[in-house]
Amino acid sequence: MAGVRNRRAIRWLRSQLPELVASGVISSENARAIDGYYEHDQPRVNFAFVILAALGSALVAAGIILLIAHNWDDLSRATRAGVAFLPLLIAQALVVFTLMRRNESRPWREAAAIFDVAAVATAISLISQTYQVQGTFADFMRTWLLLSIVIVYLLRTSLGVIAYVIGCVLWLFARWGPASSAGNPLLFWFLLTLVIPYVAIRFRSDCDSRETATLVITVALAAMFGVGATADFADANVGAIAYAGLATAIYLCGIKFFPQPAGRLHLLALLGGIAIGVVTIVLSFESNWHMTYRVASVPRTSAANLAVVVELLFPIAAVCLASFDLLRRRAEFSLSAALFPIVTAIAWAITHLCEFPNDRWRSTRCSFAAGTVMNCYALLLGIDILARGIRTNSIARANFGLLLIAALAICRFFDNDLSFVARGVGFIIVGVGFLVANLLLFKRRTAS
Amino acid sequence: MKMLRILIFGVVALAQLAVPATMVWQRDQTLKQGRIWKFRTAPVDPVDVIRGRYIALRFTAEEFAAPAKFEAGNKPVYAVLKQSTDGFAEIDHLTTEAAGTDDAVPVESVWWWGGKQQVRFPFNKFWVAEANAAAAEHAYVENNRRDNQNAYVTVRVRRGDAALDQLYIDNQPLSEYLRAHSPQ
Repeated sequence: MAGVRNRRAIRWLRSQLPELVASGVISSENARAIDGYYEHDQPRVNFAFVILAALGSALVAAGIILLIAHNWDDLSRATRAGVAFLPLLIAQALVVFTLMRRNESRPWREAAAIFDVAAVATAISLISQTYQVQGTFADFMRTWLLLSIVIVYLLRTSLGVIAYVIGCVLWLFARWGPASSAGNPLLFWFLLTLVIPYVAIRFRSDCDSRETATLVITVALAAMFGVGATADFADANVGAIAYAGLATAIYLCGIKFFPQPAGRLHLLALLGGIAIGVVTIVLSFESNWHMTYRVASVPRTSAANLAVVVELLFPIAAVCLASFDLLRRRAEFSLSAALFPIVTAIAWAITHLCEFPNDRWRSTRCSFAAGTVMNCYALLLGIDILARGIRTNSIARANFGLLLIAALAICRFFDNDLSFVARGVGFIIVGVGFLVANLLLFKRRTAS
Repeated sequence: MKMLRILIFGVVALAQLAVPATMVWQRDQTLKQGRIWKFRTAPVDPVDVIRGRYIALRFTAEEFAAPAKFEAGNKPVYAVLKQSTDGFAEIDHLTTEAAGTDDAVPVESVWWWGGKQQVRFPFNKFWVAEANAAAAEHAYVENNRRDNQNAYVTVRVRRGDAALDQLYIDNQPLSEYLRAHSPQ
C-alpha cells in the first residue's frame, strides 16, 4: 500500500542489514544508506511521556473545574463571568504558542489540546452557574464536542480523538432518560464521522502502530453504541441486521486493512470476530425474533427512516467488502463469519412470513424458525472457527470456536425444553471436543 | 501552513469565546430588562458532577386544572403566564405560538393526568455554592413543606427567554438567609 510505513517491517529490515552485508548481498554503503533512510521513522517521543503530559494537563484542568464548581458566592456576577474566561484565554494563548513554537513536539500538542478543551468546558460551566443558565447535560456535551473537534485536527492529538469519541458516546447516553428513549441519534453519526479523516490520516502515516489500532478500535466500539441507539430510535425491527452488519464490517476491515503474518489477527479483526460470536449467540434466542405489530402500525417520520438507512449501511458495507475480495479472489477472511449479515437477513425475512402478534412476548412459528436458523449458523460458525484454528495451529482460535459452541449449548440448556439426558450428552460432546482439540494442537506444537 | 493553522485556530478561539459570551449577553439582557415573575417552589437536591451542586426546583404553577390534554404534536409548547391574587405566577393557558412576549415561557414537557395538566419549566436548577449546598438544601426543605410554604424564585422573562434570578427563603435571597441563619 503506497504511503504506508510498516514500522515492524522497517525494524525487521534494519535488523537484517548486518547479515545482508556479511553475505555480500549489499555493500556496507548500501546498508548505511538504507539505515539512514529509515532512521527518521523511529519514534522520537516516548509515548509514556506524551500520556504523562496529557494527564498532567488534564489534572490541572480538572483542578480548575473543581475550583470553579465550588461557585464563589462572594464575587459579583460580572467578576465571576470575567474569571470564567481566564482559563480559556490562558489555554488559547498556550495553543497559539504551541502552534508557533512547539508544533513538532507531541507532548506539547497533546497537553495544549487537552487544556484548551477543558477550559472551554470550564468557561461554559461557570457561566451556566453564574447566570443560572439551564439546559441538559446532553446540550452541554454537544456544544463542547463541536467546539473541540477542530482542535483535534489543528494539534493532531490522538488522545484528544479518543476523548472526543468517548464524549460522543456520553452525549448519546446523556439523552437516555429512565423512561424515555435516546431520541434522534443522527447527530452522533455526524459527530463520529468528523473524526474519520483524522483516523485515515493516522492510518496512512503508520497503519501498524498501536496508536492507529487504538483509534480504530475506539471508533468501532463507539459505533456499536451508536447502532444500539439508532435501532432504538428507528424502531423498525432491523437492529439485528444492523448489528450483524457492523460486527462483520469491523471483522472484515480488520482483515483487509491491517494484514498480519499468517495465523495472526489484528486487534480490530479480533474485536469484530468476538462481536460476531456475541451477536450470533444473542440472536440464537428465539425471543429476539419476536416482532411486533406496533412497528408497522406507528406512523413513521423522515428522521426515523433516515435512521433505518444508517442501520442498513453497515450490512451493505460488510457485503460489499466481502464481495470485493471474493471477486478478486483475495479473500483471507472466514467465509462463514462474512456470511453473518446475510444469514441474519434470511432469519429476519423468515419472521416476516408470519403475521406479527400484538405483543413482543408471543412467539410464532416464524420466530421459532428464525431462531433455529441462527442456532444452526452459530454451530457452523463455531465448527468453522475450530477447524481453522486446528488447520492454522492456533490454540486461541480453536478455543474461541469451542467457546462459541459451548456458549450455544449453555444458552439452549437454559431456554429449551430438552430432556436432561439430551442436555447431558450435549455437554459431554462439547467438553470432549475441548479436550481433544487442545490435545491435538499441543501435540502438533510439541512435534513441530 | 503554520499561519493557516493559527488563522484557523483564531476562528475556533473566537467561537470558543463566543459561546459563553453569548450566554452572558443574553442572560444579562433578560435579567436587566425582563419582566419579573415569582414562582412558588417544591424540593430535591441531586449532584451534577460536572457543574457543581444545584437545588432541583419544582413549582406549584407547573400543575393546573384542565378538562382535556393539551395536544401540541411535535411543536414546542409555551406557557402564557398570569399573576394570581397573592402575586405569584400561574399558567393562564398553553400555546404552540411563540409570542416572544414578556409573559410567555417555553415548557419542556407536557402531560395530563386526572383532570390536571402538568408541565415542566426549563428553569428547574438553582446552582448553589458547594460549601452552602447542605445548608441550602436544609433551608429549602424546611421552608417548602405543606405547613410552611415559604420559598419562591424570581424569574425574569424577556421575549420568551426566561432567566432564573434568585431563590428566596422567608422573603430573603438564599445567600442572605443562610448568612442570617448560620451557626456563628
